[in-house]
Amino acid sequence: MTATPLGVFLAALVTALATGLGALPFIFLRRISPVAVASANAIAGGLMLGASFGIVAESTQYGAWQTLAGALLGVLFIVGTQRLIGDREVSFGAVRGADARQMVLIVLVMTVHSFAEGVAVGVSFGGGAALALMITLAISVHNIPEGLAISAVLRPRGVGILACAGWSIFSSLPQPLMAVPAFLFVETFRKALPYGLGFAAGAMVFMVLEELLPEAYDRAPRPLVALQVSLTLVGMVLFQQFL
Amino acid sequence: MNPTLVVLLYSSLSAGTAVLGVGPFLFNRTLPVERIGWANALAAGMMLGAAYVLLVAGLSPSHSVVPIAAGTVLGIGFVWWTHAAAGTEELSLNRLDDPGPTYGYQVLLANSLHSASEGIAIGTAMALSLPFGIFVALAIAAHNVPEATVLCAILTGRRVSVANAAGLAVASNVGQILLAIVTFAIVDAAPAVLPWALGFAVGALIQLVMVELLPESYRQAGHRTIALVAIVAMGFVVLLSTFAP
Repeated sequence: MTATPLGVFLAALVTALATGLGALPFIFLRRISPVAVASANAIAGGLMLGASFGIVAESTQYGAWQTLAGALLGVLFIVGTQRLIGDREVSFGAVRGADARQMVLIVLVMTVHSFAEGVAVGVSFGGGAALALMITLAISVHNIPEGLAISAVLRPRGVGILACAGWSIFSSLPQPLMAVPAFLFVETFRKALPYGLGFAAGAMVFMVLEELLPEAYDRAPRPLVALQVSLTLVGMVLFQQFL
Repeated sequence: MNPTLVVLLYSSLSAGTAVLGVGPFLFNRTLPVERIGWANALAAGMMLGAAYVLLVAGLSPSHSVVPIAAGTVLGIGFVWWTHAAAGTEELSLNRLDDPGPTYGYQVLLANSLHSASEGIAIGTAMALSLPFGIFVALAIAAHNVPEATVLCAILTGRRVSVANAAGLAVASNVGQILLAIVTFAIVDAAPAVLPWALGFAVGALIQLVMVELLPESYRQAGHRTIALVAIVAMGFVVLLSTFAP
């Protein structure tokens, strides 16, 4: 079986839908205490840091300087976006203020990072069609914690469970969109890959350090936050080893 | 050179660089609180970078993942437990206004325990390969400078002389020499321990960043400043590691 553009699109679409599964653990979360928000921030932060570790490890194999350049752009992107939405009154559904800004940011960051991931998927499909099913499965499973990270920020701030799943899937939609051109023009996209992956990692790490962690420390005891970040971080990295 | 001597040399260097942390106090009696936050964030970023480098190095030759995972849980648990046992889990590492003796001892204790985990990281990295171990030891050495600056700020604020503060900064770091050599010797004798030690070091370093270094720094300087300083420090270590053997 050789991979076709349609096949790559469908496979990447499946992986995007899998992101919605990340909302599942939050079905039963109703009471919204400051500690719950802090825990969710810490878990989302750990997941994103872990994901970035994996991305950087892959990206530096394509080129360390390109990764660095991409990461710088990623940081600038977050700073620029914050400046843009910092000036106006942001709302996310019924939520306003600092919470809404964080919700907009995480959906944005995770969506933008999916562009780079879509390229990675497309390029790896170009590498060998025999592995197509494996890759689809692996990326699907890999996407679930990303949905978890998004839902962890949205859900405690009052977003419904279906909307959490919806935004999670939305954040992964760039994957099928980018996978197809990357698959068709593997060589061109392979060159752009370290920039894209570096961008994704830089944006995610910066957002965790600037938004998610300080707020978590403000709302919950320090050891609890640290424990949750550390465990989810190493858990995410090691989990990816099985994929 | 004898491998054990290499470990001794570089872990001593790493502990010794703490003396450089006193630098800012040669010119000023006190350091603005914001700068102390910077120093904490620098130390945090470099340590997170070191944890990344160790973890990636440990995973690539496909050591089995399960003992690494178990090791990380032990490392995270160790740091969590030592803080809980010593009552230092919410210890602010840059309170300049506390004259009580308890606080002074707690800070020195926390710093000494902190350096123990660094020693395990150096010893494990050396066991993976000596050049890689030297890289990690140098990263920890660089990390120890801003860390010592924070400690010196507290000590000089308590009327300890600058020379004595420098000495105490090094003294609180000597534990890492011992632990680097012990870890290296054990892993050398029983290679099966390597993934456990590696996981332990990674888990401990990450937990130290999350529980000691980052939380306080956010209160000393703005979120954005801290995030920028930390990510630059981390990126620097990660970038250099790609050129390391």
